[in-house]
Amino acid sequence: MDAKTIIDSISNEFSDSISNTLIESEIRVSAYVSSPDVVEVCRYLKESLGFDHLSCESVVDYIKRDEFEVVYHIASYDHPVVLTLKAILPRDNPVIDSIVDVYWNANWYERENYELYGVSYTNHPYLKVLVLPEEMLGEWPLRKDYEGFPQKTAKNLV
Amino acid sequence: MGEINQNITQKTNEKVEEEVNQEEIPGVITTTSNAISDFIKKTAAQDFINWGRKNSLWFMTQPMGCCGVEMIATGCAHYDTDRFGIIPRNSPRHADVMIISGYVTKKYLPALKNLWEQMASPKWILAMGDCSISGGPFYESYSTVQNIDEIFPIDVFIPGCPPRPEALLEGFIQLQKKIAAKKDKGTNY
Repeated sequence: MDAKTIIDSISNEFSDSISNTLIESEIRVSAYVSSPDVVEVCRYLKESLGFDHLSCESVVDYIKRDEFEVVYHIASYDHPVVLTLKAILPRDNPVIDSIVDVYWNANWYERENYELYGVSYTNHPYLKVLVLPEEMLGEWPLRKDYEGFPQKTAKNLV
Repeated sequence: MGEINQNITQKTNEKVEEEVNQEEIPGVITTTSNAISDFIKKTAAQDFINWGRKNSLWFMTQPMGCCGVEMIATGCAHYDTDRFGIIPRNSPRHADVMIISGYVTKKYLPALKNLWEQMASPKWILAMGDCSISGGPFYESYSTVQNIDEIFPIDVFIPGCPPRPEALLEGFIQLQKKIAAKKDKGTNY
């Protein structure tokens, strides 16, 4: 299955929610998906197009656009194409469906995105902090407007 | 002077039962006062005690980062730290010296305090490496605890990234000099 077949297939299947498709090369394609349909698209990718595993799930904070982008890297062991799927969320209320039902390893990725960016995933089985200490939950340290850094110069350096 | 409890050696059986409840040891005097140790600190006996303490600085192998590798190397046979009485120990209850050998995160700080409180007094702390002294390259991270000397009574700072084993050994020798000069912070803890 090559890159163009994959893009055509998801564009036809989800003509309303898939946009801005791009074939970067033979092995890299990307597409934007509207955030309510992300689970449906992932399920279609896994069951019909052979994308059998999720490589990575991450969040990018575009503070000037006032948006988050949740980025899914979905790949396959059968064909060489890696799909970069992006969903745009509003920055003041970032809520998206969890894809743990489709790709089980999204569990810890989503917990980490939750503790670092505050993106809350509905239907996640255990949305708690993964690495951060409990008392730092709610500070969202990787957001661009995070203010809680220590002072710029340590006392002992002066 | 604080409260002094002295056991009376002749007792009836009933009184012995009471004492068992109070967890007293027969023939042992307990006190909550520091008067005895404060008195000894003024005498030459403290010099002898400190001579013993400075020559048995067992450190806790609690490596926290890349400095921990140097720390383990220091404890190995090549540098022969036994000649100074410096021996690595695995348990905080056996150790006299804790080496903070890496950056302290907000999540790790409670565990580090826990280890420090488990060590038996007298105990000392060395800050090894730039990370533990000031945060090092991670000094402005959201999770780094800066200025660790406000939290722990650190006697010797060993700068370096990481310090060589010789530098760590030099830090130990400076700590020994401080103990011999009665200027260390650890004995008060």
